[in-house]
Amino acid sequence: MSTTHHAIDSAQSPLGRHASTTSRAGKSLPFDDPRHLAAHHWLVEEAYILDHQEYETWLEMLTEDIHYFMPVKVTTALGSGYDTAPGMAHFDENKYSLSRRVARFATEHAWTEDPPSRIRHYVTNVRTFETDAANEIIVDSAVLLFRSRGDVREASLISAGREDLLRRDGDRWQLARRHIAVDESVLRTQNLAIFL
Amino acid sequence: MAEQAAVFDAVRRGMIPAHIYNDAEIFSLEKERLFGRSWLFVAHESEVPDAGDYVVRRVLEDSFIISRDNDGGVRAMFNMCLHRGMQVCRAEMGNASHFRCPYHGWSYRNDGRIVGLPFHKEAYGGEEGFSRKGQTLLPAPSLGTYNGLIFISLDPDAPPLEEFLGDFKFYLDYYTKQSSSGIELRGPQRWRVKANWKIGAENFAGDMYHTPQTHTSVVEIGLFREPKAEKRKDGNTYWAGNGGGTTYKLPDGNLEERLRYVGYPDEMIERMKETWSPDQQTVIGDNGFMISAASLFPNLSFVHNWPRVEESDDVLPFVSIRQWQPISENETEILSWFAVDKEAPEEFKALSYKAYLMCFGSTGMFEQDDVENWVSLTNTAAGSMARRLQLNSRMGMLFDGSPVVQPLSAEEFAGPGVAHAGYGEYNQRHLLNEWANCLERPVDEAASLAVGAEKPIEEVPR
Repeated sequence: MSTTHHAIDSAQSPLGRHASTTSRAGKSLPFDDPRHLAAHHWLVEEAYILDHQEYETWLEMLTEDIHYFMPVKVTTALGSGYDTAPGMAHFDENKYSLSRRVARFATEHAWTEDPPSRIRHYVTNVRTFETDAANEIIVDSAVLLFRSRGDVREASLISAGREDLLRRDGDRWQLARRHIAVDESVLRTQNLAIFL
Repeated sequence: MAEQAAVFDAVRRGMIPAHIYNDAEIFSLEKERLFGRSWLFVAHESEVPDAGDYVVRRVLEDSFIISRDNDGGVRAMFNMCLHRGMQVCRAEMGNASHFRCPYHGWSYRNDGRIVGLPFHKEAYGGEEGFSRKGQTLLPAPSLGTYNGLIFISLDPDAPPLEEFLGDFKFYLDYYTKQSSSGIELRGPQRWRVKANWKIGAENFAGDMYHTPQTHTSVVEIGLFREPKAEKRKDGNTYWAGNGGGTTYKLPDGNLEERLRYVGYPDEMIERMKETWSPDQQTVIGDNGFMISAASLFPNLSFVHNWPRVEESDDVLPFVSIRQWQPISENETEILSWFAVDKEAPEEFKALSYKAYLMCFGSTGMFEQDDVENWVSLTNTAAGSMARRLQLNSRMGMLFDGSPVVQPLSAEEFAGPGVAHAGYGEYNQRHLLNEWANCLERPVDEAASLAVGAEKPIEEVPR
């Protein structure tokens, strides 16, 4: 699991009912396993695409049934059994809503990203798991997003764990589900006009 | 003080000394004279539905536990142990019968009463040295609720909440009482932005003028049925009691048709008709105005809108409640909740939530561009040039103070207060006038409370 304490499940969301329920099987694959190498390669390529804000290319890397889900983190007592706000997320997206976000950035009037942020996704701690489906793998990673706007404004950082479901279609892998476990309850960035 | 008097005078003329959006002295005055006594939203009863449920919320630096006690009552208790001042609750939400201080183990029931004091006899000599009887976590000096919205005030002599809300209650009902069961809240999303807290409150109170410019992009991507954001100028802005807001003018139709137009299913419309007063129904059904954004003085805002949420011509309405929680003169924590009628069908709740996420909150496509503007404004307001500049906030008013357009008549608009059609900064002026009134009025020194210093002669009132 990519979260520190409690696993994220698409079923937590009223919008996640159509998400794939594929889950991991067994221990993480050896680092020289071709599937791990493919997954790591995919994540690094994606990071460059997101850093360059080539969002239309990014959309093509997502399946039609994607659930892109980042619940709101809350601080709870150790024995509570949950650490996300019930029924509330920052991102709870399907392909349509992601496509609207991307379309907005492509207009000339998305002021929050004009001038654009300088962003860099640092992706690390990658591990890959088999699933019961031959064409699907699960990939955990940690991501640190650095974002700078303007000349002297304080830069912001977002730290998160991600659990991705990658699905192979012919010779390409696509993202079919992403659960983002953000490490802060109160975000210290002006908005999430970025993707993790 | 003379300088401050000049600031308030300018504000009352509709001229805003730009530095009030980033001024440490002004902020210190706001903390004492405004946030020190105004009614402030902390939670909604639906966030603590069951006995023992709690959320922890702040009023500036003060942390409060908002809990549902075992008798079903809602409590707001200062989150500080009476002994050494530790926070007795360090989570943001949960369910607890007791709060136990991790420092020395004093413990309190979820209604605030002290129940556990380790080595009471050995260390204090029992009741003769420290009387536990009647000791509670400090309750919020004043607490009130309306439609399940829980407000507290740090002023024990605050006027009753309903008196403070006044005629704004009429409009509050559209957001928070669409059936007799009222709303449920989800969230909040919380994030901090480098912007002064007043800007959001002013924007939501009455700024219809920014919509066509700031929010061009969301119209361009087809999120709204109306092809042009300029439609906003056909709406009105109203001010009533201690709040005000904006409305859209809807196409011709009756109450049912207009509520259907913004996406409400018939079963919800039936409940609205059972719940809302004839005047509340007339505003939509006959006058043709639908509520949009609003602010309640000082820092609580509401928004109601109806975007498309999938590839279809259908639209889905959503409600968000948000608080502009000041952190400093140039930083605000936004708490943004999604609100939905408790009796709404599950499918409606899910799509309304989706509509909210697409438009407002940390990822909302409206909100993203708003915040960019507000951060920039705050940043520019810090310097010495901003001290020379008075921003013009007189839209809707001629040089002699008379309005550009006459207020709507009772036949044109059945809601209480004063409403004007079209663009104007009436509400921003109302909000800042109230702000100036508050900041000019000194506060009485708050009484201090000594815990267990003497043998009690009567029970401390709770």
